[in-house]
Amino acid sequence: MSEPTSPQPQTKTERSFRVVRTASVLILTLALCVLGAVTTDTFLTWRNLVVSLLTNASCLGIIACGMTFVMIAGGFDLSVPSITAVCCVLTVLLLQVMGALSPWVAIPLALLGAAVAGCLLGATNGVMVSYVGVNPFVVTLSTALVFRGLALIITRGGQSVQVPLRLKETYSTLYWGQVGSFGGQGQGIMVPILIFVAVFAVCVYLLRYTRFGHYVYAVGGNENASWLAGINTPRVKAATYVLSGLSCAVAAAIYCAITGTAQANSYQGLDMMAIASVIVGGTPLGGGRGSLFCTLNGLLLLSVIESLLGHYGVNEEYRNVVRGIIILVVVAVDLLVRGGQKQRR
Amino acid sequence: MPDDTPILRMAGIVKDFQGVRALDHVDFDLRAGEVHALIGENGAGKSTLMNVLAGRFPDYQGRIALFGQDVRLASPRQALALGIGVIYQELSVLPDLTVAENILLGHEPAGGLPGTLDRRLMRIEAGTTLSVLGFDLPLDEQVGRLSHARQCLVEIARALSSIPNPEVPRSACPTVPFTRGGDSRQENTAGQASRGTKNGRVLVFDEPTAALGREDVQRLFQVIRDLKSKGLGIVYISHRLAELPDIADRVTVLRDGKVVGTRGIADCKVSDLSRMMLGRKLTEMFPARRGAPDSLPKVSHLREGMPETPSPADTAEYPPEGVKPSGGGGVKPSGGGGVEPSGRSSAKPSGGPPLLRVEGLTRPGVFEDISFELREGEILGIAGLVGSGRTEIARAIFGADKAAGRVELEGVELSRRSPQRCMASGIGMIQEDRKNDGAIRGLSVAVNLGISVLDRLSGAFAFLAPRRLNRFARDGIQRLNVLPPDPDKEIQLLSGGNQQKVVIARCLSPNPKVLIFDEPTQGIDVGTKAQIYRLMVDLAAEGKGIILISSEFIEIVELADRILVIQDGRLIRELPGPGMDVDALFAECVRKDTA
Repeated sequence: MSEPTSPQPQTKTERSFRVVRTASVLILTLALCVLGAVTTDTFLTWRNLVVSLLTNASCLGIIACGMTFVMIAGGFDLSVPSITAVCCVLTVLLLQVMGALSPWVAIPLALLGAAVAGCLLGATNGVMVSYVGVNPFVVTLSTALVFRGLALIITRGGQSVQVPLRLKETYSTLYWGQVGSFGGQGQGIMVPILIFVAVFAVCVYLLRYTRFGHYVYAVGGNENASWLAGINTPRVKAATYVLSGLSCAVAAAIYCAITGTAQANSYQGLDMMAIASVIVGGTPLGGGRGSLFCTLNGLLLLSVIESLLGHYGVNEEYRNVVRGIIILVVVAVDLLVRGGQKQRR
Repeated sequence: MPDDTPILRMAGIVKDFQGVRALDHVDFDLRAGEVHALIGENGAGKSTLMNVLAGRFPDYQGRIALFGQDVRLASPRQALALGIGVIYQELSVLPDLTVAENILLGHEPAGGLPGTLDRRLMRIEAGTTLSVLGFDLPLDEQVGRLSHARQCLVEIARALSSIPNPEVPRSACPTVPFTRGGDSRQENTAGQASRGTKNGRVLVFDEPTAALGREDVQRLFQVIRDLKSKGLGIVYISHRLAELPDIADRVTVLRDGKVVGTRGIADCKVSDLSRMMLGRKLTEMFPARRGAPDSLPKVSHLREGMPETPSPADTAEYPPEGVKPSGGGGVKPSGGGGVEPSGRSSAKPSGGPPLLRVEGLTRPGVFEDISFELREGEILGIAGLVGSGRTEIARAIFGADKAAGRVELEGVELSRRSPQRCMASGIGMIQEDRKNDGAIRGLSVAVNLGISVLDRLSGAFAFLAPRRLNRFARDGIQRLNVLPPDPDKEIQLLSGGNQQKVVIARCLSPNPKVLIFDEPTQGIDVGTKAQIYRLMVDLAAEGKGIILISSEFIEIVELADRILVIQDGRLIRELPGPGMDVDALFAECVRKDTA
């Protein structure tokens, strides 16, 4: 007897469901943009859309890219704000050490140092999760505390550290630099957007067109079966955390350039925003499916909402309520629509 | 002794799942004081039928009568109240609670204050239950610290204490009046009252011996016999055919949701039952080995659902005394399908040079000192009861579990074995548990199929061209005839048989020299089974070494060149495959050497 599943109709519903889901998040984003354009004068301006909204989204998006790998492989990473803090502080400290060198030597070296640190911290998570076998929630919750502590220790209790003046102007182009101009002064593409596009492209390549990417999906889909199929599943899982750490280092490089300072205590909440982008985009918590385009979709929706909240002058204490409710609603609607399918499984 | 009026009668039970008929007008009855075994292959509908009886599927069609009165089983609670208890195959004991807490779960005696428990009374009640059953279990021990077998006993005690029965546990405790306790208790007693104090209830055991050792099985059987003598009706679900003569009075065979027949246990042999379960001329399903490979008839051309009659081919395989038509079924001898007997020559060469050598493989407490050799072109069957350690041995060879001992492939020792390393060296394994260990949910057929050889498919910069993967997948799909032949479909949307084909194609993709098939045909349709048998024979003909583990001994008997018999983690015998029959193999597997 065949198993009581009727394959044919389900594929269609599943596939069309995903299309509808992606489209609806996109439509919601566009609708909110229209709302912003109609109700405010400032929303639909280059300054707001590109210089502010997309640039902010880019920094978060780089971290969300790393998070996507971790989450498709079935884990998640709560330590990203702490890793970012360590990388920021380290970048600035390295620049201070190399303050006498030419900016073209000092800055790449500092960034490289921070990248190595990000990878190492991510690897710590990865080893604990996949080789020791501790639950990712416990691991990254604890390492978040440890890494935050590290950042505080190397800045002697969280004093803000500054990029040396000699390097500051060059360094700040990482955030403030603009490329091209679209009809006027200050209307170029911000550098962080370009960095994000590059990171995104590399990640898409990794996830979609390489063996490693397929393994990431396989580990999230069925870790045990993947291992028995000859995949080195611990290494794949660990690698996703390394990628997450590396993405934090890249984002940290940009964050430092905003003001030329780094503070061990900032960047709180990045983890939640990154995870929210991934989830709102449609990657489930258990992993196994999802994509970077889904994450991009979620990221844009959250960024537009964030921008609108600013434009409407909503108080900070209400903003969190709105953010939380929106994440919950999107995921709940997802589940409710999917509910019919689940029962049939 | 069983009397003949049934306490339970299920008539014309129909249950559909999304348009697939799981039960098709099933009739089943149970007498007081009898053990009625229910057997069938995976997916035959055994568990569905018992879930209907347990009240889990309220949307069944058909009639159920208890003690001659029609009832409608709408919820598990109602079924319990009517005196139907089920001991499920997967234990539902809570490992962190004590034995006493587990036994009384859901009907704990209330303490003086609302919401509190009377722990003293709990121990008394649980203790009484256990002593009535004759189980010796520590009341205050955490269940998780008991052996699996003893956890089963806890489960049984719980099922018995939760059904109201005048003979067993609850009322045997004089200090506990029935009216104590909350609503659920009252509902129970209501059920009890309306049924009167009829001497007999229904207890369902769903494959209770699957994880038990031999002594525990005997103890369990003693418990079942005691319960039976107290007038309970017992439904005993199993696929260990060999133990049925020990315990059952009657046997009902289900296949594809239909009743194939009900027999008195004295009237049938194990081989008859396995023939009824499989439902086709067995020899026709198995390809001829060495000789005339083209004599394999197309399975789809076989008549389906006809009464199972031993064909001339069968009688060649089974001793003639097993052929007598049995009591109730309308079995008339007729010429079989007119198919030639399998062309398996008795003078079979025992394979080529040694391929795999296993020496002293040991995993303490699971299996011990397993040594054997596998030759090129050989199919080596591993037979043994469920839980004898067959799967664990295979997993250890494949590196999925750690074990001491030596494994050599073509004279080279495989040290620090892991699935990854073993596959690289040329060993493949098709896992028993397809859902958890085989198919990778959410991934397409193409990726599932190619996942083990992605390194070979990717080019510069680790680039993996989707087109290349798809082309590779199409080859595999074609070779194993996966339906539908769509590489982009997610694997969980395929039927069980087709998922299995994808998993097998994956295992074949690195072109291994040794292939281990662990229960390769579990839960899949007959057509696919025949195809898998054919594949194994073909692979052996190509010179690969095949290890076949199966609970369906007919597969081993029909396909294997040699058979290793595993008992309690020990390799006790090696038998020649050709000329062996199912009954004899079963006997070998359960035979205990007293020496």
